[in-house]
Amino acid sequence: MIPLSHFMIISAALFCIGLYAVLSKRSAIMILIGIEFMLNAAILNFVAFSRYDKFAAGGQTFALFAIVLAAAAVAVALAIILNVYGYYKTIDPTQIDQLRD
Amino acid sequence: MLAAFLPLLTFFISLFVPVKPAGKGAAAIFNIGLSLILSGALFLKVWNQQSFHFRIEWVTIGDFTLYTGILLNNLSVLMMLLVSGIALLVHVYSTKYMQGDPYLHRYWAYLGLFCFAMLGLVIADNLLLMYMAWELVGFSSYLLIGFWFTRHTAVLANKKAFIVNRIGDLGFLIGIMITLTQFHTLDLTELFGSNGLVANAVVKGGMWQSQAGMMPAGWLTAAGIAFFLGAVAKSAQFPLHTWLPDAMEGPTSVSSLIHAATMVAAGVFLLARIYPLFGDDVLLIIAITGAFTAFMAATIALVQNDIKRILAFSTISQLGFMMLAMGTGAQAAGLFHLVTHAFFKCLLFLAAGAVIHEMAHVKDKQGIAFDPQDIRLMGGLRKRMPVTFATMVIASLALTGLPLMSGYLSKDSILINAFEWAEGHSGLAKLIPYSALLTSWLTAFYISRLIFKVFFGELRLEQELLVHVHIHEAPSAMKYVLVVLAVFCFFPAFSLNPFLFEDAWILKGFPVTDSMTRVNLFHTIIPLAVNLIAMLLIFIAWLWYGKQQRKPDFSASGLFRFAEGQWYIDQFYTNVLVSGFVSVSRLVYRFDRVVVDGLVNIFARAAKALSVMAAWTDRNIVDRIVNGAAYLTGQGGRFFGHFQTGRLQHYFVTMLLVVLAFFIYKYYSGTI
Repeated sequence: MIPLSHFMIISAALFCIGLYAVLSKRSAIMILIGIEFMLNAAILNFVAFSRYDKFAAGGQTFALFAIVLAAAAVAVALAIILNVYGYYKTIDPTQIDQLRD
Repeated sequence: MLAAFLPLLTFFISLFVPVKPAGKGAAAIFNIGLSLILSGALFLKVWNQQSFHFRIEWVTIGDFTLYTGILLNNLSVLMMLLVSGIALLVHVYSTKYMQGDPYLHRYWAYLGLFCFAMLGLVIADNLLLMYMAWELVGFSSYLLIGFWFTRHTAVLANKKAFIVNRIGDLGFLIGIMITLTQFHTLDLTELFGSNGLVANAVVKGGMWQSQAGMMPAGWLTAAGIAFFLGAVAKSAQFPLHTWLPDAMEGPTSVSSLIHAATMVAAGVFLLARIYPLFGDDVLLIIAITGAFTAFMAATIALVQNDIKRILAFSTISQLGFMMLAMGTGAQAAGLFHLVTHAFFKCLLFLAAGAVIHEMAHVKDKQGIAFDPQDIRLMGGLRKRMPVTFATMVIASLALTGLPLMSGYLSKDSILINAFEWAEGHSGLAKLIPYSALLTSWLTAFYISRLIFKVFFGELRLEQELLVHVHIHEAPSAMKYVLVVLAVFCFFPAFSLNPFLFEDAWILKGFPVTDSMTRVNLFHTIIPLAVNLIAMLLIFIAWLWYGKQQRKPDFSASGLFRFAEGQWYIDQFYTNVLVSGFVSVSRLVYRFDRVVVDGLVNIFARAAKALSVMAAWTDRNIVDRIVNGAAYLTGQGGRFFGHFQTGRLQHYFVTMLLVVLAFFIYKYYSGTI
């Protein structure tokens, strides 16, 4: 039986990798991937915690919802990126800085 | 009325219509000639008939209405006829005399304005309108005296004439104000008519009462003196006579017009118009002034060497006679003398003008520098200018008052009146007729001196400068004018009886005093005395000046110099009055500079210091505060602007840090 802490460690590692990708990558696609990492870390936590909820299995249900929502979010995000590219001819977030003062 | 406005038309034509000077002259002569004809028609209609009075409403102030209009009675039609007649002759004369002058159009314009002013003066029916015309006379004479404005002396002369006249104008104005206050009307008929307000006003208990109001009796005298002051300035009486000799700077034809009919006659005319206003005191003052002026001017005329100046002083002297006549109650005699004097004085001036004209010609042609008006350089002109000589002699005889001449009638009427008037007075007044008698003898002497020096003997110009000059008769236009005027110097124009002035028709047109009837001895003795001694003096003058016989040399005596210096009245004015005014004004100027300007400057300096302080405060305190606030805001803005990088990931980091901080805070505060 794999103890809960292992899941937690993997989940934290995933989250940190995602966070790193979001903060450091120079491509919107890679940032989107980082976001997916972080989402999946959270989903992994849901599933791991659902072991202690044997009767309703609410954690797993919630994880399914989250996966579906993540897919929808990715679709929207990709569409945005495509539009951004069409407008700026780049998807490097450091160059899209028209909101600066 | 048309007669008066025609010369004004001349003024406008000459100024604004671009024709050749000759055309303007013709237009001017035509206008004044028409004026004369109309005046003549009016004269025939009004003289000794019903007087004509036409007036319209002018201005209304409150319940006071001022009327204006024209009043034609004996006095005004006589003056109209005289003014337009003399003016016509002077106009004709001027065509030749002023020929070739570059500013001829101005000359005609001024002449027209002058005649208009004088005609307006004589037909005005109220004092205010009269005053306006009076000012206009002064102004146009100013223009004419200074006609040759490039000469410095002419400019000085016209300024002097103008300023001296202003003094008189002030008197006239004061008189008008007093009259207006007392009677509430300025209308001449209402005021001075036979049953007018002035005649009905009485002095009772120290108060001068009329239907309209009352005031202290002193004002009656004051009004009389004020009006007289106006007449004194205009008619060149002592002490305001000094402008007239200087006014000789104008063209001779203008001098003649001023002296004969227009300017100086205005003063006498004024006195005649408002005669009823004068009380006994004022009349005495008028008589004394007249007698004194006549005497003074005659003595000055004895020793002058400028031909025009002699005539100018002669005019002053004759005006003195007119004033004397007014003062002694012989209004008619004064006006009679005004008319006769107008003709012979005009003639004298125009003849003198002809002489000067010729002398100036010689001067221009030969290029010799000499004064063309100096009688010491003339002489022997009798043969070269016979017509001028003859007419001038006639005029001189008239001026002297020899029988058969017009002057005999008018001057004797004045003298006899004066003697009869003196009968009723005592003290100083007794002297007046004798001084007038003496003056008339002096007149005989100075005018014969002039005639003999100019027309007899040899031409001294040739002798002194050793040149031969051609002097010939004046041009025909001038010559005929002289002849016409000479005709009017004889008695028939005024009285059919050459020896008795009582028959003169002009005297019958005016209120007659009882001395007009031939009652006593004066009427025989005086003309006799005047004429015998005058003849004697003429004979002496002939011996001295005509025959060049030995003559006593007076030129060193004090009296001679006193007279030659014109009684030093001019010097007195210059040294005492003018320099007094100048030093007072200099004092005031200095006061202004030092005190007033100093005060102003101190205020200015104080204000400047205050403003410097205010500026310092403003710059260092107020501005610093404002700038500081702005600086702070700017710095803050710049500082916070740094956060607005526009980079998604920076925002994300910030958000993360904030969330983390929140959790850390919560963790340590122990509420989780």
